[in-house]
Amino acid sequence: MNDEFKSSACPEFEPLLEDHLSGELGGAEAARLAEHLKTCAGCRTACEFVTPIARLLAVAEPTTDPGPGFAHIVMARIREEQARHGAPKTIWQPFVSLAWRFAATAALAAVVLLAYDTSSNKRAQEDIAVLLADEPHDLAQDAHTRIHNRDQVLLMMAESNNGKQ
Amino acid sequence: MPNVAKGVAASAQAIPLPLAHTGKGEEERELVRLAQNGTEAAFEELIRRHQRRVYALVRSILRRREDVEDVAQQVFLKVFVSIKRFDLRAAFSTWLYKITVNECWDYLRKKKVRPLVYEADLSEEQVSRLDGIITADRPPEGPAERAEVKELLDWMLAKLPEQDARLLVLKEMEGFSVHELAEILDLNVNTVKVRLFRARGRLMDVYRRRKSSAMASGPSPAPEKGKAENL
Repeated sequence: MNDEFKSSACPEFEPLLEDHLSGELGGAEAARLAEHLKTCAGCRTACEFVTPIARLLAVAEPTTDPGPGFAHIVMARIREEQARHGAPKTIWQPFVSLAWRFAATAALAAVVLLAYDTSSNKRAQEDIAVLLADEPHDLAQDAHTRIHNRDQVLLMMAESNNGKQ
Repeated sequence: MPNVAKGVAASAQAIPLPLAHTGKGEEERELVRLAQNGTEAAFEELIRRHQRRVYALVRSILRRREDVEDVAQQVFLKVFVSIKRFDLRAAFSTWLYKITVNECWDYLRKKKVRPLVYEADLSEEQVSRLDGIITADRPPEGPAERAEVKELLDWMLAKLPEQDARLLVLKEMEGFSVHELAEILDLNVNTVKVRLFRARGRLMDVYRRRKSSAMASGPSPAPEKGKAENL
């Protein structure tokens, strides 16, 4: 790789020399460079040295357009990517449906248990009501000894049986 | 309706694209806005407008023809994904070319590829052909001779530091302006000008030294077309 070239031009005039070589220098800047070139041998030499290479660079043609097929290919790739990201992840699909089935079974089981619990509670309440109806008056004379549930009734019945014996 | 709008509307297959009847810059902004709202035809039109320069930019950095198309496609995929984040304050082209440059660096980093290395020297005949163009200002005749001169120029450019070669190719062959290069490569405008001027000098230096060595050693084999070195 070659980097031995050392420009003999004044660094502050190199941008103007580049504009001059590209044909983009005009007006006051062009006059300023022309004036400088009259007196600066370094800038003059550098400018003369690089000028011929512009002829070679002018021969080279720009990269040819890749053609209409290029845009079609890119759009096809974009659609492909979109389809891939938009679609469900098929690898997880069986696990997801299995999880849904488990969830549905669990919900059904919860409903059955709840219904069973409610009906057994209702039956117990009915038993209490029947027992209370048959209860002797002396067992529930005041609010402190009022019977609230089936266990208390059974306990009182056991106590009264013991008393009889 | 302007030609571009007609073309876009045609490719959109009856999807109405309300392009503004104003300047080219505003028209492009309109295309970007439509692409941001998901109009595929507008994005396809943006690709068509910029594909040649993106291609040239990728080629100037990678210098390997076989990778250019793939990387150029990848650039537009990235642009499609992130176009909603583009705020329209800067020129779309500058934003696009910056993405292109970054994509090329990423690619080179991932692949660990060095640019082309030309192994053989120029033959005496080839030097005299270049001499005819450079000193006698005799342009090549016919496509075959032009292609050969282009290959010789590629050989000479490969002898330059990468950045010098890139700047010369983009400015002189691909028609990028100094201001565009400064924005794309994150450099000061004057820095680009100075580097371009010095790159011309180095290229001339390569030519002069090859010429003197070819004249001294006589005929030598033609330059072997580049081989990329994998690290």
